[in-house]
Amino acid sequence: MTIRVSQISKRFGAFLAVDAVDLQVRSGELLALLGPSGSGKTTLLRILGGLERADTGSITFFGEEALGLTPRDRQVGFVFQHYSLFRHMTVHDNVAFGLSVRPRKDRLSRAAISERVMALLDLVQLAPLADRYPSQLSGGQRQRVALARALAIEPKVLLLDEPFGALDAKVRKELRRWLRRLHDEMHITSVFVTHDQEEALELADRVVVMNSGRVEQVGTPAEVYDHPASPFVYDFLGNVNRFTCTVADGLATLLGLGLTLPAAGVGPGPAVAFIRPHDVELIRLDGPAATDGAPPLPRARVRHIHSVGPTARVDLDLDGHPLEAVMDQDRLRALDLRRGDWCRVRLARPRLFGTGETAVIQE
Amino acid sequence: MFITKAARPSPAARPVLRDPAWLRWTLVALALGFLTLFVVLPLLTVFVEALRRGFGPYFVALAEPDALAAIRLTLLVAGIAVPVNLVFGVIAAWAVTKFEFFGKSFLVTLIDLPFSVSPVISGMVYILLFGLHGWFGPWLRAHDLQIVFAVPGLVLATVFVTFPFVARELIPLMQSQGTEEEEAAASLGAGGWQIFWFVTLPNIRWALLYGVLLCNARAMGEFGAVSVVSGHVRGLTNTMPLHVEILYNEYNFVAAFAVASLLALLALVTLAAKSVLEWRWGEDVSGPGR
Repeated sequence: MTIRVSQISKRFGAFLAVDAVDLQVRSGELLALLGPSGSGKTTLLRILGGLERADTGSITFFGEEALGLTPRDRQVGFVFQHYSLFRHMTVHDNVAFGLSVRPRKDRLSRAAISERVMALLDLVQLAPLADRYPSQLSGGQRQRVALARALAIEPKVLLLDEPFGALDAKVRKELRRWLRRLHDEMHITSVFVTHDQEEALELADRVVVMNSGRVEQVGTPAEVYDHPASPFVYDFLGNVNRFTCTVADGLATLLGLGLTLPAAGVGPGPAVAFIRPHDVELIRLDGPAATDGAPPLPRARVRHIHSVGPTARVDLDLDGHPLEAVMDQDRLRALDLRRGDWCRVRLARPRLFGTGETAVIQE
Repeated sequence: MFITKAARPSPAARPVLRDPAWLRWTLVALALGFLTLFVVLPLLTVFVEALRRGFGPYFVALAEPDALAAIRLTLLVAGIAVPVNLVFGVIAAWAVTKFEFFGKSFLVTLIDLPFSVSPVISGMVYILLFGLHGWFGPWLRAHDLQIVFAVPGLVLATVFVTFPFVARELIPLMQSQGTEEEEAAASLGAGGWQIFWFVTLPNIRWALLYGVLLCNARAMGEFGAVSVVSGHVRGLTNTMPLHVEILYNEYNFVAAFAVASLLALLALVTLAAKSVLEWRWGEDVSGPGR
């Protein structure tokens, strides 16, 4: 175990940014801290990096208490969201900074530093730009310089704050894959913060979903996506249809719709049901209205069809309630639906969460 | 405020913003006329009066012992006050922009105080504190220390009056630059001094130089506060502006304007240096987005 975080809390004035968080970072893994803005993920990362002081709790790095250590002694590399390159230094000098500010006795010779810097710039494919200034680089190039600069001090842990947040979509995707390859080659324990669930699910070995300063769930991308531990995680990871309902006798009745869904494992009382858009199956009106003995499938009206790319999205009106369905283009073609048409819907694999007396999620 | 740059007219002004020709010309003529009358003419007068009898008497007036003493004293006072304000201005700007603490906005207001208070009062304060009948007067006298009517008083009054220049120049720039680069440096293992030398200082150097220039111009030209604490002892506690006044009151116009022309030259050199700085490093001097 590389980093062990226990009961870390941080308060800014009246705002509790990080609320008694426990977390373990495994050696060599790429871990994502995922959450909406204000969920405390960046604050937690900054506490890990020694840039912010925790109010309570403890952190160990490789079994050693780290809260009292300076960033230098923690041996972490930090990559900032807005790069934070030194604007008056060339790319070369930016990357060399961490090596040149070392105490004289630990410092490499000028030539050795330069050699190491050029090797790193080769790694991030920026060697030809060594003499440029940050203002002469594109966003993606700046981010790579920031990464090379953080790697120059040979950190044991790499921390990245929204590393792709300020880049446009195409560059972001490229850089994401490149970072994954780099991590697979170097195996440096890395923690990155993101609010983009797609980014977290694609890039990370494990994902930590955070909300209001707390950890909601920790798991592999498949675990958190397929088995969300809480309504928040379900809602945050990917598009979802949400219905408030009441559970009684193992059946959930969707409010205002008169529809029922099986509700195994959820106690009676108010609850919320989630259905992923790709679990909403559309059936033509001339198809079977029900499958042997089950109540007839509800009817919905097509409000809009977005069919760009390999999948198509259909917005439906289910008795006044919006419903989103996603399917591949072939399926949509087979259905031959137009805007305003009626069809039947089957809500497969619903996921229910009891909300108890006090509703956790408000509409 | 006088430190901010005048907004440049946008090259592609929309027709909506284009005023009729007669209005534009009237406004330009008014502005130029006003400037000529109130700035250019007086400045010209200084040089014309100083050289009224030719270069000979001009240089004689400047080489006179009292004039030389005044020049030396002015250089000495500015030579102490400017470095002091350089250091404290940087410290104040650093404290205000890099830390959060109780009473911060009060401190920012306080930095502006010397701008808003009359220079005479700035001088009076030191008389009340360190004068013979002031708070510390008896103690100073007992220890044979003289502050007012001596060089220390001149330095104190000048430091007070010129304190805001460096700090006011740095605060907006450092605010806009934020603390991210400093954090990056800290995360790379740099210590406090290294962060200041290698990251903060290079980022503010041109604004700092600009602030020092303005501070120096004011330090050498200050009249009011210095006048109160000087005591006007010729050859001893007279700075250049005070010397100009004495000469003028003695109807020694050529000498008065000769010394005055040096101050005017200083102002022109400062303006030129300021323009060069703004032209060459405009972004760095005034910060992005200004």
